Amino acid sequence: MEEIQKEEGLTMHLLEVENLTKRFGGLVAVDNVSFHVDEGEVVGLIGPNGAGKTTLFNLISGFIKPDSGTVKFKGKNIIGLPPHKIVNIGIARTFQVVRPFRHLPVIANVIVSLKSPRGNRKIEWLKTPERKALDMLEDVGLTELMLEPAENVGHGDLKRLEMARALATEPDVLLLDEPFGGLNPLETDFLMKSIQRVHLDEPTRGIVIVEHKLYALMRIVKKVIVFHFGAKIAEGTPEEIAKNKKVIEVYMGKE
Amino acid sequence: MVATYLRRAYTSFLAHVVDIPPRLLALLLFLILLVFPVTNPKFSFMLLLSLANLSAIFSASWDLQVGRTGLMSLGHALFFGIGGYGAAMLIVFWGFPAWAAIASSALIGALVALAIGYPCLRVKGPYLSLVTMALPLIATGVVFYFKDVTGGERGLFGFPRLFPFLPYAQQFLAEYYFTLLLLFACGIALYKTANSGTGIVFISILDDEVASKACGINTTRYKLTSFSISAFFATLAGAVWVHLLSAANISLLTLTTSFLPIIATIWGGIGTIYGPIAAAYILQIVDRYVLNEVFPIETHWHMIIFLVVVIIVIIFWGRGLARFVTDKLDDLTEERNLDERGPHIWKKYKKKKA
Amino acid sequence: MIEDILINGAMTSGTLALLALGFTLIYGVAEVVNMSHGALYMVGAYLFFVFTTIFPIDLLLAFVLAVVLTGILGAIIYRLAIHPVVDDLLASLVITVGVTIIIQELTIISFGSYRKPVPSFAQGFLTLAGVKVPNATFLAFVVSLILFGGLWIFLAKVKIGKAMRAVAQDHEVAMLMGINTERLYMLTMGISATLAALAGVLITASTTRLAYPHMWDTPLYLSFSIVILGGLGSVKGTLVGALIIGYAEEIFVTLSTLYLPGGGFLKGVVAMAIMMTVLLLRPKGLFGKRIEMEE
Repeated sequence: MEEIQKEEGLTMHLLEVENLTKRFGGLVAVDNVSFHVDEGEVVGLIGPNGAGKTTLFNLISGFIKPDSGTVKFKGKNIIGLPPHKIVNIGIARTFQVVRPFRHLPVIANVIVSLKSPRGNRKIEWLKTPERKALDMLEDVGLTELMLEPAENVGHGDLKRLEMARALATEPDVLLLDEPFGGLNPLETDFLMKSIQRVHLDEPTRGIVIVEHKLYALMRIVKKVIVFHFGAKIAEGTPEEIAKNKKVIEVYMGKE
Repeated sequence: MVATYLRRAYTSFLAHVVDIPPRLLALLLFLILLVFPVTNPKFSFMLLLSLANLSAIFSASWDLQVGRTGLMSLGHALFFGIGGYGAAMLIVFWGFPAWAAIASSALIGALVALAIGYPCLRVKGPYLSLVTMALPLIATGVVFYFKDVTGGERGLFGFPRLFPFLPYAQQFLAEYYFTLLLLFACGIALYKTANSGTGIVFISILDDEVASKACGINTTRYKLTSFSISAFFATLAGAVWVHLLSAANISLLTLTTSFLPIIATIWGGIGTIYGPIAAAYILQIVDRYVLNEVFPIETHWHMIIFLVVVIIVIIFWGRGLARFVTDKLDDLTEERNLDERGPHIWKKYKKKKA
Repeated sequence: MIEDILINGAMTSGTLALLALGFTLIYGVAEVVNMSHGALYMVGAYLFFVFTTIFPIDLLLAFVLAVVLTGILGAIIYRLAIHPVVDDLLASLVITVGVTIIIQELTIISFGSYRKPVPSFAQGFLTLAGVKVPNATFLAFVVSLILFGGLWIFLAKVKIGKAMRAVAQDHEVAMLMGINTERLYMLTMGISATLAALAGVLITASTTRLAYPHMWDTPLYLSFSIVILGGLGSVKGTLVGALIIGYAEEIFVTLSTLYLPGGGFLKGVVAMAIMMTVLLLRPKGLFGKRIEMEE
């Protein structure tokens, strides 16, 4: 995918959020947020709880509609598209609280994604859905649990299943909502390596990660955006953010 | 307390004593049913079993919709009625032969499902149940309004049975085998659909529709598919039903009819497809034979007894019907079943593991 | 013709409001969609029939007895069949439908399938704004208004009523405040059943004058159409919903006598159509989710 140069010299971003706002009753969950993700960028979204990050994901992935603002994917506004269409044009997400298909075995969970129009694309015609699903499970290290019903699988493994399911749709933008939530240090380390490998496998893919575990996040992202009360308060590299006075205030104040 | 103990005993019994793979059991039963007429039973009993076969198809179709996709419809009788009245009207007014009438009705049923499914399925959970519950009522009103065509309260009757060219005695036998084979075919079709790739998506919708959408699945389209397939088989059952009784009336559209698959699935195990088949079968036999001739009880008490049992089962066994629905999908996750229907690649991996 | 619609619509809406209020009450307080609401309406009508025809007693006493007994039945149904599954919407739905069928079959067993005549409680007509209205209908309307108003005051001022509103708004907090939700739910169900029976007697004794075992369906569908339109759990919404549906039906019936003879049966479709439209466009209904008492 090429970046299209317009006359003014502007480049088109892979994902562009412009002035996005969402209110719930009197509460402003997302406050005039703007940012962009380019091809191959790994972006981290951080901020205290309730800062509106998950709402942001819900808006981008089409599960809720904003009050104002746009979300442009490859230049086209995707506001108003239903969630499944958004997946099929190339934006996939995981959920903060895992949502596995309890009664399906792990491999079938991934097969569901492969049944979507996008997941079903016969890029390599030799591979059956089960073969493709197995590949995805190998990538996240879940082949052992392949036939286990999802309801019997532990939390850490379910987190990886979430990611495998999202990856199975071969997204151009991957939204990860607190992927490290509830993981022990070993699982965290493994997931960090998985995400890095995911990034290397598809260098044009944009990844946006919402996360609280800063020590894990800061090591895998190139750009960090900080939120507070639904608004963007800072943006920069991990080093810059770590030194940013406003950010420190926000975090220190909370703890 | 007692209930928990009983439940544990029952599960343990099933696991240790009755450890026959479901497929073998089904085959065994099918063979028994196939050979059964040799015992030369009464015509009325053959008719009863034929009706039971159809009721089983009806209940299994509902199970696909509810047990595998989560579309809790309380108005399944609508399609039974469309099948029954459709076939009857096609024969009486347009002179269709039986086969054409049945096939056409089934297709009409599926089309109606597509048409009304779209608005109905957009509403979630209990609202869907409310809306679907009202559909047979509207249909009943339509039937009464167009009484010239539908026969109003008395209904349509007097049209020929399925095999009028056979001598009277043989007709019941022929109908029995026809409905039995139909049950076998429809049962397998429904079971295979439920366990296919599409069936996997159905379950994903049942388990977590939001997550399913996040996987790129157009859940509305799949729900519509499930609804239509279910409607097709229900309509088919209804179309054949009226031939066996040579009558079509509003009993096809009552709430009681809609409730039969609910009773069957709760007795038989929701989501299994074959469970409701067996339960519906037994239900018909109990309703029309056991409680009529063996222990005669007035007809209207039958339903009351069945419902009381159902209510007790839901209260003690279920502890949440939604969980009850999903609890009964155990057979899906048995490794044995996956091996049987999964591709060989899974077997290869399993061997590597061991 | 306009006056006919205006007056008759009001008469209909009054009793419908009472009926729907019972349905919305049990949903708002206990989050139960009571599919046996229509059956309780029928029980009320049948009991009135029993106490005026089979064991004839004073008309007023028959009325009170029919209504109170049904109320008690409602509480019993709650305790036996609904309470164990009160937290599971789907299960309570299926069970209450089962209860409806059981009541229907018991009715057929006790009284047969044929229609039973229900006496009116007032004869003659009066004229309201140039429209001839049967006394019985007007009486039903007045009684409905009084009872609806009484219940409004009950919910606003009386301790138990306020407890019900509290539970409707927030179950956990209400429990923390020491409200015995089980008993409250049972009482709410009793009141709900009483309202259903009231509507059953009032409407049957004034309008249809008939009781038959399938008569539970129309009240049920009307109830939940009204409640969904007005917003589940909102008393004000129920009132508004009842007015809208009452008038919609009245307009439809008037128009159908002119353009669609014999189409009266489609009356039920009007309510259903409204409900489906609401569900598709604005599932919250007009006034949202919990029992609200905006004055």
